[in-house]
Amino acid sequence: MSNAFTLDTFLFAVAPYLAIGIFLLASIRGYRNRRFVFSSLSSQFLENRQHFWGLVPLHYGIIVVLLGHLVAFLIPREIIAWNSRPLRLYVLEVSALAFGILTVIGLTAAMMRRANVSTVRAVTTGRDRIILGMLLVQAVSGVGTAILYPWGSTWYAATAVPYLRSLLLLAPDVRAVALMPWLVKLHILTAFAIIGYAPFTRLVHVLVAPMPYLWRKPQMVRWYRRPEGALRAQ
Amino acid sequence: MRLQPPTRLGLGLALGLLIAAPTAASAQDAAAFFKQNCTSCHTIGGGRLTGPDLKDVTKSRDRAWLTDFVLAPQAALDRGDPYALQLQQEARGVVMPQVAGINRDLVSALLDLIEAESALPKSQFAGVQVSDRPFTAADVQLGTELFRGQRRLGGGGPSCVSCHTVRGTGGLGGGQLGPDLTKVYERLQWRKALATWLNAPPTATMQTVFAKTPIAETEVLPLVAYFEAAARNGGEDDRAGLIQFVLLGLGAAALGLGVMDSAWKTRFRSVRRALVERRRGARS
Repeated sequence: MSNAFTLDTFLFAVAPYLAIGIFLLASIRGYRNRRFVFSSLSSQFLENRQHFWGLVPLHYGIIVVLLGHLVAFLIPREIIAWNSRPLRLYVLEVSALAFGILTVIGLTAAMMRRANVSTVRAVTTGRDRIILGMLLVQAVSGVGTAILYPWGSTWYAATAVPYLRSLLLLAPDVRAVALMPWLVKLHILTAFAIIGYAPFTRLVHVLVAPMPYLWRKPQMVRWYRRPEGALRAQ
Repeated sequence: MRLQPPTRLGLGLALGLLIAAPTAASAQDAAAFFKQNCTSCHTIGGGRLTGPDLKDVTKSRDRAWLTDFVLAPQAALDRGDPYALQLQQEARGVVMPQVAGINRDLVSALLDLIEAESALPKSQFAGVQVSDRPFTAADVQLGTELFRGQRRLGGGGPSCVSCHTVRGTGGLGGGQLGPDLTKVYERLQWRKALATWLNAPPTATMQTVFAKTPIAETEVLPLVAYFEAAARNGGEDDRAGLIQFVLLGLGAAALGLGVMDSAWKTRFRSVRRALVERRRGARS
């Protein structure tokens, strides 16, 4: 009988609420108790050559991919309509795959840097390693899903979006996701695991990202430099 | 106060409707359930599909037997029920699946439905009326466009190609989430069975996607024509399309890295470094 409480019911109908509950409570508590370290403590000044390859591809990749998931969640019918032309479908899928690959490259670079550069390794915590590992599982399972089960941009809109919407409406309907291949299930579960674990990690910077940087007025930075020959003259 | 006859009549009608409402709802539920779960294998007066035509089945078997069988078809076979075994043989070995969500009340409502529909000159469940005329090139063309999504399904559902492929789809190939449909016309055994299947898909995956956005009857025949042509033609394996997809993704990612490298040459990496190096140079 379909009403039986199965593992899928727990994983896809209960665990998401647990994850979101933990995220909200722990984020609020964290922000109240340790506001000044509620961020991603930068290690750029310790090493900034390899840092570039971890920072830039990772952030542009993950932001675009996340926005893609969000847009398809908000307007699934329009996405299905957009994909109705094969060329448009292929453009969307190739772009999404490329940004997914950039995310994987960025994460790999960030992990290698944290493992190989002694100064950065010294400030890397166990939680940093765990959250980077979870993000890598998430990105690899996403890229794997895109390659092994095309065309996700359409079937996500037709199957996963109704599931996510049912979660939002507090009436979880797990039928569509319960039938998915294990790789897709892993992708969904890791997403909720990351949401639940994020408030305990450097990922909280998502909540305190300095968005005003995008529209504030430019600031002039002055660098004190003595006139040529001043040192020698002393 | 004494009620006038019309008012009493109105009250009586309202009360009658209230009492009748649950029955009407359950009949509606039964019809919806029958359409979604039974019509891919059974008709009422439309002839045999995988399972037998159910017209007047309540006259040929008693309700207790039918109820037990529908609740647990495999159990009837396991205990060697001769009629159940005969049904299995007639269905070429296919065993009726135990339908998710079935219960005794629902079976009773379904049997009432079958009884009522059997009494009609033409039941709504007589099955899809699939034309016997030969498929035309226009049918195949329309089916191709529907399959590939070049023409949207009227109900608003996703195109077949997002989850399925058929050899020779072209471009970067079809989807891989669902099964390859190149030979589905043969696998489901021809026109009527495939048309019936598409009209009310029985698998859970298809139901979750198409329950609210069903494939229209006018779209079913062209799709069947397309699958018939696909089964006949075979077509090229489109794994090459998948490899192209991966290569394009890798190429675009490499391009992205190149753009990032050149766009932020002076940011992140070298604004501060240039200043520090100049300072060092001044010191030395």
